[in-house]
Amino acid sequence: MLPKKERTLQEEEPFTEWIRDFEAAARRSVEERMRYAFIRTYKPVLDDEPYRSFDTMADYRRWCEETLPSWLGYGRSL
Amino acid sequence: MAARFEYRQAQEIAAAFKKHGVRYLFIGKSGAILLGFPDTTQDADLFVEKTPENGRAIASALLELGFPLTPEHRQEIERGKDFVQLRYGPFDLDLVFAPDGIETFAEAEKRALVVEGMPVCHIDDIIRSKEATGRVKDLESLPRLRAFRDWWAKQRGGVIQLPLDRSPHLQ
Repeated sequence: MLPKKERTLQEEEPFTEWIRDFEAAARRSVEERMRYAFIRTYKPVLDDEPYRSFDTMADYRRWCEETLPSWLGYGRSL
Repeated sequence: MAARFEYRQAQEIAAAFKKHGVRYLFIGKSGAILLGFPDTTQDADLFVEKTPENGRAIASALLELGFPLTPEHRQEIERGKDFVQLRYGPFDLDLVFAPDGIETFAEAEKRALVVEGMPVCHIDDIIRSKEATGRVKDLESLPRLRAFRDWWAKQRGGVIQLPLDRSPHLQ
């Protein structure tokens, strides 16, 4: 286990980096933020049908669990 | 596969939905991004009120935006499913009629903010809905989203219920 001082610094580092990210994003316009934020990659199964609908969110969650590759992260475990 | 979602398309949604009187809010990561959260996502998620009247307005607005809704799809949206995924339009869009973790549309609407004409769920509602799904991808994003929420509130002097259209900071 790391000494207390070192552990605290290591734990704080990602948080400090996040704050820097938030500050940088706040300096950008909404349009610019969206240009950086929205990406497009093919998601297997999910992107293979033009239209899907589910009567309940439970049905949708179940479909995600049972049908999508687990690595997409739509299930409750990998 | 549709092109990536752009600011221009978000503005087109806002214009078409306003014209047809759709009651909706941006939610999920796309909503957080509009509030200033720096992250990546693929599609836009809209929390839409589940009423026949709103369903009809949504269908009309989507047709105007270029989504080739079949009569059957139109009927489903009007009737109000809980979740509709559209992958055949000018951009990918998810319609969420009953997001996890949020009791009613009316409650979320009271807390909502407006960013450049686009109504967005409050960051607390976005976090609550992600907490409630229990999905791996949502749970992974929660620590950073919570850190953003705290930072965001601090920028607004600790006031987090002030609608964004009244706040000069994040306009």
